Amino acid sequence: MSARTGLWTAGAVAALLVTVVVAVGIGPAGLSPAEVWQVVATRLGWGEWLGVAPPGRLVDGMVWQLRLPRVLTAAAVGAGLALCGVVMQSLTRNPLADPYLLGLSSGASLGAASVLVLGVSVLLPVAAFVGATAALVMTLLLAAASGRSGGVGGPSPTRTVLAGLAVSQLAAAATSFVIFLSAKGDQYREILSWLMGSVAGATWTSVAIAGGAVLVLGTALASTGSLLDSFTFGDTAAAALGVPVARVRWLLLVGVALLTGALVSQSGSIGFVGLILPHAVRLLVGAGHRTLLVLSALFGASFLVWADTLARTVLDPRELPVGIVTAAIGAPVFAALLWRGRQA
Amino acid sequence: MHLPPAHPRRSSLSSSPFGSRPRALALAAGLVAAVTLTGCGPASGAGGAAPGAQEASPDGPLTIDNCGFEVTFEEAPARVVTIKSSAAEMLLALGLGDRIVGSAFLDGPVPEWLAEAAEGTPVADPFSDDVPGTEATLELEPDLVYAGWESNVTSEGAGDRDTLARLGVATFVSPAACKTAGYMPDPLTFDGVFAEIEQVGAIFGADDAAAALVAEQRATLDAVVPDDRGLDALWYSSGDDIPYVGAGIGAPQMILDAVGLGNVAGGVQDTWTPFAWEKVVDADPDVIVLVDAVWNSADDKIARLESSPATSQLTAVREKRYLVVPFPATEAGVRNVDAVAGLAEQLAELNLP
Amino acid sequence: MTVSTRSTVAADQVVGAAGLGAERVRWSAGHRLILDDVDVTAPPGAVSGLLGPNGSGKSTLLRILAGVQPPDGGRVALAGDDLLAMPRRPRARKLALVEQDATTELPVTVLDAVLLGRAPHRPMLASPTEDDRRIARRALARAGVAALEGRLVGTLSGGERQRVHLARALAQEPRLLLLDEPTNHLDIAAQLATMRLVRSLADDGVTVLAALHDLSLAAATCDHVVLLAPGPDGGRVAAAGTVEEVLVPDVVDAVYGVRTTVLRHPRTGRPVLIFDD
Repeated sequence: MSARTGLWTAGAVAALLVTVVVAVGIGPAGLSPAEVWQVVATRLGWGEWLGVAPPGRLVDGMVWQLRLPRVLTAAAVGAGLALCGVVMQSLTRNPLADPYLLGLSSGASLGAASVLVLGVSVLLPVAAFVGATAALVMTLLLAAASGRSGGVGGPSPTRTVLAGLAVSQLAAAATSFVIFLSAKGDQYREILSWLMGSVAGATWTSVAIAGGAVLVLGTALASTGSLLDSFTFGDTAAAALGVPVARVRWLLLVGVALLTGALVSQSGSIGFVGLILPHAVRLLVGAGHRTLLVLSALFGASFLVWADTLARTVLDPRELPVGIVTAAIGAPVFAALLWRGRQA
Repeated sequence: MHLPPAHPRRSSLSSSPFGSRPRALALAAGLVAAVTLTGCGPASGAGGAAPGAQEASPDGPLTIDNCGFEVTFEEAPARVVTIKSSAAEMLLALGLGDRIVGSAFLDGPVPEWLAEAAEGTPVADPFSDDVPGTEATLELEPDLVYAGWESNVTSEGAGDRDTLARLGVATFVSPAACKTAGYMPDPLTFDGVFAEIEQVGAIFGADDAAAALVAEQRATLDAVVPDDRGLDALWYSSGDDIPYVGAGIGAPQMILDAVGLGNVAGGVQDTWTPFAWEKVVDADPDVIVLVDAVWNSADDKIARLESSPATSQLTAVREKRYLVVPFPATEAGVRNVDAVAGLAEQLAELNLP
Repeated sequence: MTVSTRSTVAADQVVGAAGLGAERVRWSAGHRLILDDVDVTAPPGAVSGLLGPNGSGKSTLLRILAGVQPPDGGRVALAGDDLLAMPRRPRARKLALVEQDATTELPVTVLDAVLLGRAPHRPMLASPTEDDRRIARRALARAGVAALEGRLVGTLSGGERQRVHLARALAQEPRLLLLDEPTNHLDIAAQLATMRLVRSLADDGVTVLAALHDLSLAAATCDHVVLLAPGPDGGRVAAAGTVEEVLVPDVVDAVYGVRTTVLRHPRTGRPVLIFDD
């Protein structure tokens, strides 16, 4: 069992590396692998040693300022979203849960739309983050206030999910209102693009933020595999196994909210990654969380990089927001999952 | 030049929602890059000197504040990517068609008087029907991206202005299309439109051509006597259940003023605005100006007006008092004057009492 | 008929001894009093039954005894150690709780489910060790479901799943085993098999307390029973003692409202209840 897991992990890591390398070489501009290699080698300081000529400024810009940050950001966002998806599905014991469940994405969208409309889009990452956290707080307060379930870990998962739905709807309505009231001219485009999710504007700062969040928060979340396993048979069983259910649930939710908020602030709300990847990986390696978390992150990273590569090239010279590609792939997969569940 | 009176600062609206944030250091770097690059010419070595005249500005480097973004031109741009018809047509009208290496997002065919100038240029064969992606734009190795809308130069479009500047690609947004407070023309006037022509002329070292064009356009404009019968119009741009109409401070108002028509939506402080059919019926405009676009033609609009029970009873609809203007002419640019002349002629032909 | 509120096994005999002793447990949900000063004792090495009609608070009491739900008042001790004051993980090493038909839709294997029982015995974020696996497999064998090791929990029958949960509890190596209606949804063969397994655990010295719905099953398998009765002011202990002492017609009538005839099983000597109409 352990050897099999190790094999899968090694495979996933290899797949991710190959994905990143290949994706950087693909794009609307017909750059040859040689040119891409030129840029990377020069930037890493190996140019002279390897006898590689320095690339032209625009080629260098395209590879180093556009494609590479974008691919790396997509990888980080994909990994983080998949991780959060696993945690959310386990915490809420709901296979249809995703990272945005507790109002996180709607709150972030409200924050983002507000600043885009007010014309201070420099504050966008902060606003998205604040929006996500505010929505989470509202959800948890609402769930707690809606009655004592008599259960072990505070409000029941169902109640929390429903509270999250309520907050999501509220935030979505507020977002529409903000847009309607104040958006001028083609602010609609920017807002729409954000709502659909895109890594088009990724810079090395985005890589730092998204990557840093995944490394710090993601690693922390990924280490909670055993804890999440305890929740398999419900809160009471977990409590009887010595898990401080309410505290763990709270900490995990906060972790997910922070990580999701950070990711969403860089890429908008890219859907379906957090929902589908956990299921796909479970099909491959079963439900043990230690393995599930790590592999979901790795495969999530590769998946989003490929989705973004598609988004960049399928409608050349235009670019699709990557959220459309993930939805186009994710929705049929989701339907298939439901279908299988029905027949099982 | 009649530029909006504001000190140059980074426009946060036009920069990417998720890209690097403007900082003094980046500004300096951008300027250095722009200066270095425009001094060295196209980077990848494929461009070389562009065919045709390429005059450096006689006064040295030109720095302008464009929608709150500072752009410096060491030399006249030689490889321009244009986005939207207004940008492409501006360059063609100034005889700069040979500088265009790619055109995108055209709003309709070029006017007849520019057809010959467009022949053989990328304007006749656009590389993108809509806003192009950053890489597709950079592939053409431009040194200037001339955008008709501010949103064209964001990271979802041809590229974030900061990012492009760092790569040595200057960006210029049609000043009439700026949305930031302090830069949005309020209201847009023909003086402003002509100022843009002169500014573009200065950037490209084509001051003479610009001056000539402005003189020609002023003459045409002055020849039109505004109607004095106190008629009013609805500027119907698009929309079905909710009409999208020309409002009080943009190009539609500017054109209507020159023609001598009042604007039923003129009280709205915006360039264009969603409106309500109810208010249209209440105002019962004397004429209706129909914007003829490729995706939403004047005929479509007439069909809509005539089939809806509310609007079919409007005076202008019953008596078919329609004035038609092609869509590209309704954005600030070199065709506005023709729009005025065209509408004035159509108005006269209506023989209204 | 005396409805005693005290266990016939003196409290001080058990508390301090190696068994479960709970005193004056009280719990309210909002304004409703669910448990009103309930005393429960369960001796080690015996199967004790917690009986009572619906609404008498059995499940709540079990959860309180398991330390999963804090009571509003009262004391719970196991072998003299205060269970409520104990930190979670040491408590989880001492007692195990088996709930009614817990299942999952996730593709969890039987072995993984049983391995969960080893969690309290290792650091919180650590992976299972070979030792854990060995103990888990042994628990599976004891529960008679070793052959199901690789199967998915969701694909098992009710009886098999219950035994897997018992195996999980076994893997916890507890001193006290709490069972919440472990036979509710099982067919008769499975019910008896479950109780047989429970009895064999008791024979090893484990203290076993099982909430049971079925009086006949309790009569056949329990050594010691505590009978809860729902009252207007919360559940209270109606009677406690051996099955012979408690399952008498008057008491059953008073608590359940049904008339019974109690016979004696010819072979085991245990009471057999027949419900009259």
